[in-house]
Amino acid sequence: MFRFQTEQKIVNIAGVKIGGQPGELATVLAGTIFYPNHKIVEDESKGLFNKKKAEILINKQSSCADETGNPSMVHIFGSSEVGIKKYIDFVSEITEAPFLIDSTEARVRMEGVKHATEVGLADRAINNSINMGITDDEIEALTHSDVDASIVMGFNAMDSSLEGRIALLENGASVTEKGLLQIAEDCGISKILIDPSITPMGNGAGIALRMTLVAKAKWGFPAGSGIHNAPSSWNWLKNKKKENDLIFKACDVGSIGLQQMAAGDFILYGPIENAPYVFPMAAMTDIMIAEAVADFDVIPGEDHPINKLV
Amino acid sequence: MSDWPVVKGDYQVGNGKSRICVVTLASHFELASEYMKKVALIGPCHTENLGIEKIMANVVSNPNIRFILVCGEESRGHMSGNTLRAIHANGIDGNGRIIGSEGAIPFIENISEAVVKRFQAQVQLIDRTGETDKGKILQIIEEYHNKGNVFSEPPMVVQAGKKKRKRERLEINGTGDVVISKDVSLDTSSGIIA
Repeated sequence: MFRFQTEQKIVNIAGVKIGGQPGELATVLAGTIFYPNHKIVEDESKGLFNKKKAEILINKQSSCADETGNPSMVHIFGSSEVGIKKYIDFVSEITEAPFLIDSTEARVRMEGVKHATEVGLADRAINNSINMGITDDEIEALTHSDVDASIVMGFNAMDSSLEGRIALLENGASVTEKGLLQIAEDCGISKILIDPSITPMGNGAGIALRMTLVAKAKWGFPAGSGIHNAPSSWNWLKNKKKENDLIFKACDVGSIGLQQMAAGDFILYGPIENAPYVFPMAAMTDIMIAEAVADFDVIPGEDHPINKLV
Repeated sequence: MSDWPVVKGDYQVGNGKSRICVVTLASHFELASEYMKKVALIGPCHTENLGIEKIMANVVSNPNIRFILVCGEESRGHMSGNTLRAIHANGIDGNGRIIGSEGAIPFIENISEAVVKRFQAQVQLIDRTGETDKGKILQIIEEYHNKGNVFSEPPMVVQAGKKKRKRERLEINGTGDVVISKDVSLDTSSGIIA
């Protein structure tokens, strides 16, 4: 294992610490709820869902976090402005964990950020994300909100190489006027989480792992990803899943360890239903990393899996 | 056409001699085998960048395809249906941005302007965005699967992104013995990344 010469930043979002040197903090894990075709959602346009089942899922994730020492966040995915507000209200009542506001539509994310500010939940919210498609309206909405945490996405659709992704964050890579890191700071984002962007395998998924290392070495920001999107979008694996679901699950959950070994500080692990499988996997990797860096003067916290599970 | 489609993706391959391929945007449809013989490809397209590139690469490499049926629910935020129409109608600018697309990140990396022009000339879009009635989709497949002639030019070879990626020897500026990037390396004796 290794440590970074650059000082590693640690951000604190509603009591959850993310970042640091490998082995210092437990990997933070975020399960997604209300995602497209999530069975608990009854009407996504109205934000109607089975509250009992949603509560069970969130509480299960929290229990896994308590058991292993890996802090949790709730990755809220909304597809309507009405829905995202209801989801935020509900999640914030069930758990005190931070939550991510995510949607494929900017107007939904903006409404989520605005709502979190209005109801006093901005300090628990993480915008997902500032990316190369950010609009002026989105910049304005973030600037006028109280949300100070955001994922900054390294997806460069014009140049998916490591250099292309780094350039997008650093100087805009001729796509945006400024680098995305500068845009984030201009929006008042003081808690930056870098996501190198997991593109499908064959389109540079592996580059994201190297970019995690480089981003932490260059800037010291916490970094992580939704690495499960690589196996999830792998067509060959989808066919194997028809033979045996365990084949898919092994790759899906196992991918988390790859991101951890590449110095990932947080992971968006996909459907929140997977929490019982994901947390032990992440805890195991965290323990191995902590042991590997023990002589680097890295002291894991009291709640780190190495101090809770072995 | 044994090596077609040239780019793998989340779609079903039917008959490469058919005149039509079907892009179902954010929807998924399974076709009976008798209809799979009448479509070249059928499958979703969720994204306004990588997804569009895959469609174009597979279309221009098969001159038999003359029609693309665009149907199913639009991909929210990504607007892949809107983007497919935009690149067919307007093409790309000098930065690779698809002109007129309403998608969030409508850029292409691995497709040249020549490919865009070939795509525009080779195929006609049948725009039924929002259509999820399988019966109506089958009617269109029936009507177009053997309509018209093969495109007059030979297949255009488009390399997939993974094959096109540059393989350059890194000039190493770091001090470590394990290279991570041109200016970041790991010294294995100390375990320091700098």
